[in-house]
Amino acid sequence: MLFHSQPFILGFLPVCLAGCFLLGQAAGRVAAHAWLLAASLFFYGWWNPPFVLLLLGSIAANFTLAEHILRLAAAARHAAARRWLALGVAANLAVLAWFKYADFLLHIAAPRAPPLGIFLPLAISFFTFQQIMFLVDSARQDRAAAGPLTYATFVAFFPHLIAGPIVRPKDIIPQLQHRALAPNRDNLAAGTMVFLLGLAKKLVLADTFGGFADTGFNAAATGAHLTLFEAWYAVLAYSLQIYFDFSGYSDMAIGLARMLNVRFPLNFASPYQARNIAEFWRRWHITLGAFLRDYVYIPLGGSRCGAVRRSANLMATMLMCGLWHGAAWRFVIWGGLHGLYLVACTQCRFTLRRAAAQALTLLAVVVAWVPFRAASGTAAVGMLAGMAGANGIALPQMIVHALPWLGWIATPVEVLPYLGDARTLSFPEVSACLMLGWGIVLLLPHVHTLSERARARALASSFAFSMQAMFFAPHVAPFLYFRF
Amino acid sequence: MHRPVPTKQEERQEQDQRLGRHGPFRRLCLACATSLALYAACFALVLDRPLSLGFLRQEIDARLARGAAIEGPKLVILAGSNGPYSHRCAIIGPLLHLPCVNAGVAVGVGLDYLFARWRPLLHPGDVVYMPMEEAQYVRDRAANALGPDAAIMLRHDRLTLARLPPRRWLGALFSYDLRGALMAVIETALVAGGFHDPRPDAIGESNVMGDHVGHTAALARANASVLQAATPYHPSAAQIRSGYGSTLIAGFIDWARMHGVTVIGGLPTGFDDSPIPPASLGAIRDVYQSRGALFLELPNRSRYPRSAFFDTADHLNETWQAIHSVAVARGLAALTAGTVAGKVPAAITAADAPKRTASPSIGIASSLAPGTAMAPLPATIP
Repeated sequence: MLFHSQPFILGFLPVCLAGCFLLGQAAGRVAAHAWLLAASLFFYGWWNPPFVLLLLGSIAANFTLAEHILRLAAAARHAAARRWLALGVAANLAVLAWFKYADFLLHIAAPRAPPLGIFLPLAISFFTFQQIMFLVDSARQDRAAAGPLTYATFVAFFPHLIAGPIVRPKDIIPQLQHRALAPNRDNLAAGTMVFLLGLAKKLVLADTFGGFADTGFNAAATGAHLTLFEAWYAVLAYSLQIYFDFSGYSDMAIGLARMLNVRFPLNFASPYQARNIAEFWRRWHITLGAFLRDYVYIPLGGSRCGAVRRSANLMATMLMCGLWHGAAWRFVIWGGLHGLYLVACTQCRFTLRRAAAQALTLLAVVVAWVPFRAASGTAAVGMLAGMAGANGIALPQMIVHALPWLGWIATPVEVLPYLGDARTLSFPEVSACLMLGWGIVLLLPHVHTLSERARARALASSFAFSMQAMFFAPHVAPFLYFRF
Repeated sequence: MHRPVPTKQEERQEQDQRLGRHGPFRRLCLACATSLALYAACFALVLDRPLSLGFLRQEIDARLARGAAIEGPKLVILAGSNGPYSHRCAIIGPLLHLPCVNAGVAVGVGLDYLFARWRPLLHPGDVVYMPMEEAQYVRDRAANALGPDAAIMLRHDRLTLARLPPRRWLGALFSYDLRGALMAVIETALVAGGFHDPRPDAIGESNVMGDHVGHTAALARANASVLQAATPYHPSAAQIRSGYGSTLIAGFIDWARMHGVTVIGGLPTGFDDSPIPPASLGAIRDVYQSRGALFLELPNRSRYPRSAFFDTADHLNETWQAIHSVAVARGLAALTAGTVAGKVPAAITAADAPKRTASPSIGIASSLAPGTAMAPLPATIP
């Protein structure tokens, strides 16, 4: 079930909230947790019911193991706890590898072998990482005590189940155990506000830019030669699409949790305003970045073992980050590029002016989206060639007619076939949309730092468009992170 | 005692507290209501798209005006852009001795809107020929409610909107997305700045009968690669049978039968290397014949080589538009002989076509763009 679908908003959400609060007040916390767990499993099973068993099996196995590890750690049997922890982490990664990476690894080992055709269970990367955190925190004795029902409710909690944020057990489980079970007017209102603003990001902005990006990238995938503006507009549109899509999803998740009196951590903080790549990663998918830092980079040695080892650790962490996004070389390349950027950033000995630093960071991030989005290496190279102007610069006749000096640099054409709907007015249309989108991400603060008044203004400017998209747009696009 | 000057952050907090007194839910509801009210006011009363929707509106209104001006029986060609691009009233009308209006504009325009506009202008004895594009039959209710006609009705034609079901009112009210809103501002600015619309130079324009003219084979050469790569869409028979467009067409046929208007279904033009699957073709035929309407199926099923087209499979270039029109006129004459009031000839031979259309007032030559030459019609017309 998608957060921005009618069945979720008009059916699931009100029933889930009402049931949780009514049961919580009438029958107590256990009943409310049981309801929330059942609702979350229904939410997960809506997509493919058999995989609910996988989720439940994973929860049961990890809880049992975590309790055992905790007992060992509490008894100061640290070596045994570490062995069980290693076993647990390996088992989780093996399940993830089987479902997500088996075909990819098989293709590397035997390129001619037929694919296994394994179906990727929804959200497996998210609930696997979440539970690895629980195992590690158990070994560190750094978690709250939780019964099986609370733990299952935490892992399956529908606001974060599908695509994060990747929340820490020690942050959320205590909230589930101690939160008020009655509806809180302030939390309901604030949660609804953030949810609706996230909905607008997804439906109004991300899906608009997604259409523009698809036109260009689909053309590149068929071997079309995109000219400079077509290529840049597609990449800039994709950069906005993925930001608004994922940050919109995260806002919706944060809002939903808030409605249930649970506070989730921030996941995006205006990442395109970052002035260096390290700052970008402190602002982009913050919870994944924190997970990788605390559970991969630092255990690998972090920056404690000299410059060379630090660079190697950064590269390894970012390659894993790339692989986490999907079993394909394009994600590895994307992760590798970000690893190189981070290494370069740590080696950098000069400082740029604020605007120049921000522009350079943005350029690096935007370029890295090309392999991430492109259907193949060839398509990525084609897109980069277009961005470099290798296929020429073309502009619609009417633009060149209006601004004749552009004729010196651009060839006038009837329409740009790989821009928007390839109509006469597509160029100004896409330009205006991109200006609006980039204006929002570069000039405005993010939703969570806005005042109540500013949030109300943002909602007033977007709510009608969200309703238009939800009830009247013929096509609802799924979230990009839906299957990562 | 003087109160210290509040910082910006304190001011903001005070504002929030003042707002907070109204209650968080009231603020939320107020923001949502404001949004809906502003949206409705902007798109119903202020914003418009004078270039894209204005162009369509002019095209629709011009055809309706032509239809209203004709006294006595007339032929109306109703379809999407397949109508004006691939059919020429300037040829078909004289051949059938019936004044003719090419009433189609674009596939996106809602059929219910088109029918609602044309019903008052149709009278007993009129003939409506409907070579609808395949996509028209399967266009779903949601897409139909959001076509360009929705915004046109909301802004300029609320009378027609009021005659349509309430779900269309909502569709019209919510017909603008973000792109539409931005384009409304851009188009208004372009018109205010004296923008020259390049479309007539690139694709030709319409004559008084509603035929598209000037889409010559020479201009079509620019689209040769697009035409070669085009993959036509053929919906299945089941999709056509259950399609919302088919329901709307069936309703119109029922209305026409009750009002003495003859409806003749037809096939859209398409590539000869991509025929309509027989089952789908049967389903299209059924839409008309099962309701008692006639159906015109040319021997070539309106299929032509890709080189005969202008920019899509629905748009023949001007030369082939004339050839197809003669074939359609011949088929319509055979179908309607003795059933339609007026002077419809029983048969038209290929030799009639150039002779009959040579008249400068109604001939092919008069409807060509200046400076373009019409290729001679082949002896054998499909």
